[in-house]
Amino acid sequence: MDRRNFLKELITGAVATSALSSGLAEAVFAAQSNQRYLRPPGSLKEEEFESRCIRCGQCSEVCPNHCIEYFDLENGIDSLNTPYITPRAKACILCMKCGDVCPTDAIKELDRTAEDILGYVQMGKARVNENLCLSYQGKTCGVCYRACPLADVAIKVQLLEQPVVLDACVGCGLCERSCIQIPQAIKIIPDHILNPVS
Amino acid sequence: MAESTKPFFLWRHLNKIRWLVLLTIFLMLIILPFIHVYQTFVASFSYDLLTPGEKSLYDFMEMLTAPFTNDPANGLDSIKGTTWSGNFFGFQISDPLSVLGQIASGLTLYWPFILTAAVPVLATVLFGRFFCGWICPATFLYELNTILSLWLHRFGIKAGNRKFDRRLKYLVLAVGLALSAISGSVLISVIYPPAIIGRELYFGIALGGFGAGLAFFVMTLLFDLLVAHRGFCRYVCPGGALYSLLGSFRLFRIKRIVEECNDCAKCNAVCEFGLDPLHDDFGVECNNCSACIAVCPTDAMTFVTTVRDVEFQGPGHLGKQYKRLQESGE
Repeated sequence: MDRRNFLKELITGAVATSALSSGLAEAVFAAQSNQRYLRPPGSLKEEEFESRCIRCGQCSEVCPNHCIEYFDLENGIDSLNTPYITPRAKACILCMKCGDVCPTDAIKELDRTAEDILGYVQMGKARVNENLCLSYQGKTCGVCYRACPLADVAIKVQLLEQPVVLDACVGCGLCERSCIQIPQAIKIIPDHILNPVS
Repeated sequence: MAESTKPFFLWRHLNKIRWLVLLTIFLMLIILPFIHVYQTFVASFSYDLLTPGEKSLYDFMEMLTAPFTNDPANGLDSIKGTTWSGNFFGFQISDPLSVLGQIASGLTLYWPFILTAAVPVLATVLFGRFFCGWICPATFLYELNTILSLWLHRFGIKAGNRKFDRRLKYLVLAVGLALSAISGSVLISVIYPPAIIGRELYFGIALGGFGAGLAFFVMTLLFDLLVAHRGFCRYVCPGGALYSLLGSFRLFRIKRIVEECNDCAKCNAVCEFGLDPLHDDFGVECNNCSACIAVCPTDAMTFVTTVRDVEFQGPGHLGKQYKRLQESGE
């Protein structure tokens, strides 16, 4: 990866110092995206994922929940036509079909078992905004807890159904999708923002 | 004069079969996204909540697929993907260019994926650029584009017919792979029409909107129409470059039977890639589409198994030029 970063910086520098505006170089070789999107479950780390994914579109084609979409140019040309999930619009139901069909294993092939999912899926982590959350405002809600496919493992509730996200959360986004507050009081922070590649 | 046997009767009809294959593959690329939409209806929607349009799609797809499976949500997963990379009854097949692009972008060899291109590579070594003539969904549209240009010609609008260096596409392939390596992202898929067609049809049908790739593809259609006939495939396409290289010593070639040829040059006129079958010049560009065999009025074109084209055999023995040569020689 070092060689590639070196080449990237070389090219970025050459483009930036040339007559072209440096904004173009930034847009073309965006170092790390801060956009809030999720990769499909079992995906490799962001940079590795981009180099492994051949943009064949099969992951979306098997997704029974129709939640996988593809980037156009909004996240830089590096991630053109790569798959992503917007959890608030449509969250992942952890069916693991996309990993089965991925020809390059950019999305790992996993069984639909709690073991595999807890062990290898790292889409992100849910974070509760206690100022927005109804339960923390005294109006018992608990919808996120009931939406969670890994309830009591990834999320637990206290008095008045106040949600607490646990370390095991894989970031599927079903809690964010089902949150009845607008804007949502529980959000997935994607893995590429939580653990950026240094 | 040497008595030559007639070419095998099927060769004359291969071009029709080829159109059928191209049409089938193109229709598959349209039907598969609809099947996916239908599957999502089955898996995660209530039938009563569908709009009337969605209901009729559901009913139609149900009618279409009911004979094959009772469990559409899982049973229809057996064919997925596009010609870029697809899953065919559990057997994964990928385009050799996707493998090369992935190797370039990852700078590593990931064998489970590389092996998915084994069958296409083997077939290309034997049959040359057959993908370009027989499978590529872009070819289907490019050949329709050729027919459009003939129509326009009738109304006095002339199609462009400029010539470039055929080796340009090797440069495009090299630059595309270099860019993939620098960016660490399979960028070569962005300028490769069959990959674009497969993707964009899926985006347009199942994801509710075409992407940037469609604009690029329309540009290639216009390039073919206004600048150079079938120019993209002949001069630019990185996949075509790769198949030309892989198929340099292909075993199955078209050959002119000089004894039967009357120099009518219909083969040259019909050749999509602007080759010169009349002068035995096929080369690495020929994609064995067999249009020249189908059009030949004297059955002077056939398939042979040899790794090299024959040298120019002189004028056809049924033509005037050959007769003049004979008379002056004797």
